[in-house]
Amino acid sequence: MTGQSLLMMLLMFTILWGGLIVLLLIALRKERQKSDDEPNR
Amino acid sequence: MVGVAVGTGNIWRFPRIAAKYGGGAFLIPWLVFLFLWSIPIIIIEIAMGKGTRKGTVGAFGKLIGSGFTWMGAFVGFVSTAIMFYYSVVTGWCLRYLTGALSGELEGLVFESSEAFWNDFINGYQPVLFHFLSLAIGTMILYRGVVRGIERANRLFVPSLVVLLVILFLRAVTLPGAMKGIEIFFTVRWEMLLDYHVWLDALSQNAWSTGAGWGLILTYSVYMKNREDAVLNSGITAFANHSISLVSGVMIFSTVYALVPARAAQVISEPGPLNTGLAFIWIPQLFSQLPGSYFFSILFFLALFFASMSSLISMIELAVRVLNDAGVARNRAIFSVGAVGFIMGIPSAMNSAFFLNQDWVWGIGLIVSGAIFAFAVLWFGVSQFREHYINAEGTDVRIGKWYDAIVKYLIPVEVTALIGWWFWVAIQADPNGWWNPLRIESVGTCLFQWGVVVSLFVGFNWWIARTTLEDQ
Repeated sequence: MTGQSLLMMLLMFTILWGGLIVLLLIALRKERQKSDDEPNR
Repeated sequence: MVGVAVGTGNIWRFPRIAAKYGGGAFLIPWLVFLFLWSIPIIIIEIAMGKGTRKGTVGAFGKLIGSGFTWMGAFVGFVSTAIMFYYSVVTGWCLRYLTGALSGELEGLVFESSEAFWNDFINGYQPVLFHFLSLAIGTMILYRGVVRGIERANRLFVPSLVVLLVILFLRAVTLPGAMKGIEIFFTVRWEMLLDYHVWLDALSQNAWSTGAGWGLILTYSVYMKNREDAVLNSGITAFANHSISLVSGVMIFSTVYALVPARAAQVISEPGPLNTGLAFIWIPQLFSQLPGSYFFSILFFLALFFASMSSLISMIELAVRVLNDAGVARNRAIFSVGAVGFIMGIPSAMNSAFFLNQDWVWGIGLIVSGAIFAFAVLWFGVSQFREHYINAEGTDVRIGKWYDAIVKYLIPVEVTALIGWWFWVAIQADPNGWWNPLRIESVGTCLFQWGVVVSLFVGFNWWIARTTLEDQ
């Protein structure tokens, strides 16, 4: 495999799967925060 | 919502279009339009659904006034017209899944694989499996939004990811798979100067993410107020592209490992009804693998799950619109199921009719995307951003840069895409492009859209009265 295609592969997987995982983690954190807050209202 | 976006297009359309441009060169514009088309439109859909708590018709009426409910009706109709033949496609996936389970797909070579497809498509079975797909879809909806749609998607989406990861791991470990991966990620930079690659990347985004279909708007009606439009649109669009990427690597690896000499042709050949890769090649490719029985089942199960999760969202869209108009939910479900079955029969029995519907309503989706952008422009982009997207209770807020995308970029994208498709159709048939009876002509699009728009504009007063009468 050439260096360019290897770099492209790493870049695509990092942006898409990395981005997805980060967004899911943010969503999960928010969900937890809000469910912790709700009983106190 | 990921279930809406992830469909058969991720598995068989994405690798085919990527192969047309040698792989890597397609990935760059495909990623660019994730940010410049898919995410901005999905944000509009989520914000409209959550903000108005109405299906497509009511959402347009509530946002920009009762004079515009016909626009929501058009958006809803485009997705419903797609549902009529998408159920036929889901039926094909179901048929091949039963074929994989019964062992019929084992040992297929090109001639027998093609014969299997022809025997199936020319008989009564497409109608039967179209019926079964709609029956399964309506039964899922009958169980309700939480017990039906949510539970089904909790099964379909993670299972699909697991199945694709297993197939991906198997594919990349095949001897010779590296060649396929290398080609998939090699960027031929000169390709980026070809406008076709940009237009195809935009159409793949419009098709594959579900942006502009009205389906995401429909699911957003049931969202909690505190859920973010921006965060959820990001998750939906990124999940869609991530799954496409895995499917692309899986398909390129498998094809280059098993038929290296004909790989480019195998991946990019549209085949009958644009499904050559899934229904002609995959069965014979898998039949060469050790454990072919197991891997064929996994592939067609993944395809069926992807397809069914999208089909139920299309049925739900029509159900929600009827429900908003005062039809009881269960009655609406069975009415949509029955009408969907009848209206899908011509596509199940006649390939030309299927291709015509795919052409007319496929491009209609871009018009739907434009209608969403128009609604926001009419309402006022900044006000929409402040009142609907950055609504109370949301944490991820969006800035002024978003206004420029909706005001300038989306209209340019729509004009370029529709203009290009029509241009290609005119070039391909210079004497008959205006003819509404041709399968893929400009005339057939304008005629069918025109009939639908005229009816909805003519009956706008009635549509608005039935849908918005509680206001």
